[in-house]
Amino acid sequence: MHYILRRCMTATATLFAVATLIFLLLHIVPGDPAEILLSGGGVAPSPESVEAMRVQLGLDRPLLEQYGSYLARIATGDLGQSFQDGFPIATEIITRLPRTLELVLAATLISVIIGLPAGLAAALKRGGALDGFLSSLASFGLSIPIFVTGTLLILLFSQTLRIVPAGGYVDFLESPAEHVIYLLMPAASIAVGLIPVVFRMVRASILEFLEKEWVRTARAKGLLERTVLIRHVIRNSLSPVVTVLGLHMGTLLGGTVLVEYVFNWPGLSGMLVRAVEQRDYPAVQGIVLVICLLFVLINLAVDLIYGILDPRVRYE
Amino acid sequence: MIKHTTLIFAALFLTTIVLLAVAAPMLPLVDPVKMDILGRMAGPSLAHPLGQDEYGRDVLSRIAFGARASLGVALTGAILAALVGVTLGLVGAYFQGWAEQATMRPLDVILSFPPMLLALLAVTLMGPGVQTLSVILALLFAPTYARVTFGEVLTVRNQEYIEAAKALGHRPTRILARTILPNVAGPILVQFSLVVAAGIVLESGLSFLGLGVVPPTPSWGLMVRGARPFMEANPLGLIWPCVALVLTVFSINRICDAMRDLFDPKASAAVLPVSRLLAGTGIGRSRARPAAPAAFDGTLLDIRHLSTEISTPRGTIRAIDGVSLQVKPGEAVALVGESGSGKSMTGLSVMQLLPRKVGRIADGEVWYASRDGQRTDLAHVPANLFRRFRGREMAMVFQEPMASLNPVYTVGFQLIEALTAHGQMTKRDAWDGARRMLERVGIPDPERRLNEYPHQLSGGMRQRVAIAIALCGDPSLIIADEPTTALDVTIQAQILDLLEEIQAAAGIGLVFITHNLGVVAEIADRVVVMYCGQVIEEGPVDDIFHNPRHPYTRGLLASVPRPEDMAGQHKRLSSIPGTVPSPLALPPGCRFAPRCDHATSACVVAVPELEAVSANQNTRCIRWKEI
Repeated sequence: MHYILRRCMTATATLFAVATLIFLLLHIVPGDPAEILLSGGGVAPSPESVEAMRVQLGLDRPLLEQYGSYLARIATGDLGQSFQDGFPIATEIITRLPRTLELVLAATLISVIIGLPAGLAAALKRGGALDGFLSSLASFGLSIPIFVTGTLLILLFSQTLRIVPAGGYVDFLESPAEHVIYLLMPAASIAVGLIPVVFRMVRASILEFLEKEWVRTARAKGLLERTVLIRHVIRNSLSPVVTVLGLHMGTLLGGTVLVEYVFNWPGLSGMLVRAVEQRDYPAVQGIVLVICLLFVLINLAVDLIYGILDPRVRYE
Repeated sequence: MIKHTTLIFAALFLTTIVLLAVAAPMLPLVDPVKMDILGRMAGPSLAHPLGQDEYGRDVLSRIAFGARASLGVALTGAILAALVGVTLGLVGAYFQGWAEQATMRPLDVILSFPPMLLALLAVTLMGPGVQTLSVILALLFAPTYARVTFGEVLTVRNQEYIEAAKALGHRPTRILARTILPNVAGPILVQFSLVVAAGIVLESGLSFLGLGVVPPTPSWGLMVRGARPFMEANPLGLIWPCVALVLTVFSINRICDAMRDLFDPKASAAVLPVSRLLAGTGIGRSRARPAAPAAFDGTLLDIRHLSTEISTPRGTIRAIDGVSLQVKPGEAVALVGESGSGKSMTGLSVMQLLPRKVGRIADGEVWYASRDGQRTDLAHVPANLFRRFRGREMAMVFQEPMASLNPVYTVGFQLIEALTAHGQMTKRDAWDGARRMLERVGIPDPERRLNEYPHQLSGGMRQRVAIAIALCGDPSLIIADEPTTALDVTIQAQILDLLEEIQAAAGIGLVFITHNLGVVAEIADRVVVMYCGQVIEEGPVDDIFHNPRHPYTRGLLASVPRPEDMAGQHKRLSSIPGTVPSPLALPPGCRFAPRCDHATSACVVAVPELEAVSANQNTRCIRWKEI
């Protein structure tokens, strides 16, 4: 109980720090924020528009007051209005966020389904031909930038083989089958980079736990080799694997930017890239804040799962 | 084999790319921004070896100048990040306390941003461009440097040479720069290369989105971006920059792996060339099974000329070499020797628990009399059938009770697992059985302990649990491998008493492995002394203690502190000179000869045989009559 409480407090503190940092970033950058935000394309903005922007962003008020109202605003879920169209940012985020989450979850699922058995096989046949092959494949997979994977997948499967569409999105309720088809390639692109991570982690932790003395004790008890493996090796190696997987899922929330762009997936990232291009600071701020919130929540979930998996953590 | 090929390739490729990037302006390349509308998306030609892009620009030239941009940005960013991160890490780890809070905490906040997001946030504020990219990289990767440095410094900061430097009165800055930094340079260098690779990926990603390098400056990411809409008409234009990117990143990562292996051999994925060596052993072992010997009636365990080999990176060693020993039911046999004498390996060989893949029984027999009176040569029982014996017929107790119990399961789970390993029983029965087991090994409040985890118990308690686990299958033979070594002295006596009591009560044959002769006198009926994988003396405990024949046994006995030696004025503890020889370079003849006071030229001629001193005592010394 104590453990959960402490983790939750850490998470809250981190969120607070992140929100503060996002607020400060606009002010840390040298120069007048309003002027910076308006000076896209190398054209100097007119003094009137800068002044209007200052009022719109509340930059004319004292810093502390701005900070206070900023915190009060985001605490109620109000992320402000977009510069581009004046729409509430929170509403658009809520429409787009599930699509991004779906992508991340699908990619993680694929990675676990492929990476876990592969890592296990490589560890058990350590030093064999299969291990060498899979390990080399993993280092190669880790070296392909995600947008390259995506682009090449399109070149191969859409342009050359013409099996799947090059990109886009169909709502699940409209046509579940098509929805999945459109999901396939973006999820696979992410998985190409994530499978090696899962593979390496599983391989390393299985190898580590195979050498543990309690594994010898388990064998000495006369347990079936399969039971020894499942209960005393695989079960124990879950903790480090879950930790690493959680960390990577968090990173992926940002990493989908490129994939969504390549496959024209209408998730959060398309909105983000457009907002960055347009220097729509409130929108960028809102999206970053939401993703960071998820990031922190995932880390919290990982910590809690870790507590379930390893009793030593609970009783610390 | 694959490993070396790829490493050589990686080194060559990276050298080429770096040279290409550095020398690009001096090479006779076409201007990378010169457009040629007539040559749009032209295939490879003499003038344009890699073809032309969607504006008719030379692809080769753009790859070369693109390398310049990518590597330039990545290197600048990596260097900036290194300067900031390493400094913060050094300061935080060396001074700790508030300095740690001030340096490491803010970095944790940066780490809680997904990197691509932070990059986009920075681009929004600073606008796209090369400077922005370098700043972003520095910001993103400084925390990883700081963490690596912090961790490394923590491990070295309390080491003796740092203490020595402090004692000499050196100032902290000097100690940090001169003494600590060189020691953590290896991991930081690895980190540096990883950051360069990550920097290239990030730069190309941002450029691909149109938020990185600003056109017309060539960049690989921009090339992919530009060629993407035309991939159908000109797939080559897309593939070239992709290949350049992937191979560059792969080469850096590959070289990093190699460096890491170099700095940290333990983490190395390098493989012992063992599996192949052992692949054929099944054939050698499936030879005709020797008939059960009739002569040793009444023995529980009869090990005959057992040899076990361990494969190490430096060669195969014979951990035990022709060991023979017998254990009768209800008898306690102590297996004594220094570390590396092969005593533990003997125990593990009997149980077939030798280290996976590297250890194997090379020769000899291990006859075991089951409860039903049947005799089996355990050395020739295939691994998949051996389970019948483990836990049920014979059990093992290990040295370190914390490590030998699985930390994620309760004591009760681990006991029930042992109870049910050889037969089903109801949950209730299993629970009751487990509780009775804990009672039997003298654990108070067993009901509560069953629900606890190993880390909640004391060391002595844990070892009692380990003994209870061993007793679960009601074994006839227990092999206890230094069961008291890791415990406090007062607890040691309790555990010894417990083992003795259990052994006497159930008539269990006990093999007690130890290096502590004091323990031996208390528990053993017979003593077997091992040295360098061989039995060098064996006999009843009284004979060994009062009438040792082998100089090594005498040396061992003399090194046990005795009150009468300590009482007088000559307080001294004798020790055996020299060290145990390496198993890879055993001396010829008697293995103890190099350390023996009585060695003669005859001793080094041949390995002495085990000779009978009396009806019960054997020794492996050619001069036992004289000395």
